Amino acid sequence: MSNLSLFLGCVAPNRYPGIEAATKKTFSKLGIELDDLEGASCCPAPGVFRSFDKTTWLTLASRNIALSEEMDDDLLTICNGCYSTLKEAETELKKDSGLKKEVNEKLFETGHEFRGKHDVRHIIEYLYQDIGVDGIREMVSNPLDLRVAVHYGCHLVQPLKENDSELVTDHITFFDELVEATGARSVEYEDKMMCCGAGGGARAAVQDATLRITEKKLQNMTEAQVDCIVNACPFCHLQFDTGQQDINKNSCTNYEIPVLHYTQLLGLAMGFSSEELGINLNSTDTAVFIQRIKEGFVTA
Amino acid sequence: MISNIERCYQCGQCTSVCPMGEQEQTYRIRRFLQMEKLGLESEESMITPFIFYCTTCYKCQDNCPQGVNLVDAVLAIREKAVHKGKMLEAHKKVGQMLINYGHAVPTNADAMEKRALLGLDERPPTVQASIEGLSEIKTLMRLTGFDNLVAESKVETIPENTTMVQQACFTQQQAAEEKA
Repeated sequence: MSNLSLFLGCVAPNRYPGIEAATKKTFSKLGIELDDLEGASCCPAPGVFRSFDKTTWLTLASRNIALSEEMDDDLLTICNGCYSTLKEAETELKKDSGLKKEVNEKLFETGHEFRGKHDVRHIIEYLYQDIGVDGIREMVSNPLDLRVAVHYGCHLVQPLKENDSELVTDHITFFDELVEATGARSVEYEDKMMCCGAGGGARAAVQDATLRITEKKLQNMTEAQVDCIVNACPFCHLQFDTGQQDINKNSCTNYEIPVLHYTQLLGLAMGFSSEELGINLNSTDTAVFIQRIKEGFVTA
Repeated sequence: MISNIERCYQCGQCTSVCPMGEQEQTYRIRRFLQMEKLGLESEESMITPFIFYCTTCYKCQDNCPQGVNLVDAVLAIREKAVHKGKMLEAHKKVGQMLINYGHAVPTNADAMEKRALLGLDERPPTVQASIEGLSEIKTLMRLTGFDNLVAESKVETIPENTTMVQQACFTQQQAAEEKA
């Protein structure tokens, strides 16, 4: 197969399955069949569970990586939170043999072993490095004439900062380049690299404050007159999508910006319909956006 | 013990760029670090529940002239609080989700319907569809003591002053009608 197993995490399969469908469809079109990672659990979430008990966090993370290793695969995440957990756990265990031994003693009870022979990849990092911007451009059959607010998300950038300094420079562009390969334009907006607000368990702890952070981003995106938000993380996706509804209700606003995961944007550019990619299943109304795509809102 | 907070010289650069600090006056990362450095654990009521507000965006860490691993420090302070039984009700629920389902956000009827519409299996091929996998997760959480940690923790409630004041939404027309 492809030597890549798809790590779904929690939010994508259980709240935004369109992201899962879009990932499988776009990769299939790229000629890559992703292996299912049967029995994988929550990554577990980096800010929350890591701060409750680091040993638990590390143990469950290493089981997920071990499942992928047992298939002789690298692990592919479609979520920044999962990437942060799995990449950091992988890095810590690869460098600390004592810690690896301790974790493996627990994993042994469930018949697994973390060997540390494979890699954890984020889908954006994988597409940029292994398929390349030109490789993506070649696969685009419906170039998109869209103004996009790219949202990187903190837990994509941070692990890369520690593991790949080539991608993370003073002026980060790799995600923008992938977006522009679809024909779309990545629009500059104020505080582009700012957090969506949701991470670290803050959404659960103090949701109203996280929504005020989100609203600041939405304001800045609106001022930049974007057609949609494109993210690389189902949790940011959730915060922007359902968050808009909460903010509209609480703050007398009228935000209606469609929220897409990169795989959904790529899927549109590859000619899949919005329905095949689950864009119509968002909380925020996407009917106008979808109609414009259907009417050939493409440069073609 | 926390990695390198002894390098902090309290310049406040972290606090000045913190998006949560901008929203919540009670969230002051510099203060938490100073209290931790001085071992002011008797003042911990000033730390919980506020220490749980950090979104882990790393902006403070990026802005720190001393290279302090601030996010690691916050997470370690939290871990200590949780092990002492200080945990938010909402976080405790998230922990119980993990124990019960192997997912922090498990499936529901709405998700299963959406999956079917997309031609996906109603249950994803994760621990959600694997009794054996779930049993492994439970075994591991028993070995690490996570089940007890979540079950026995006392619960801190969030002070009322941090909840959002509900505003009534009026359209201009509604406002005009009210005046009339």
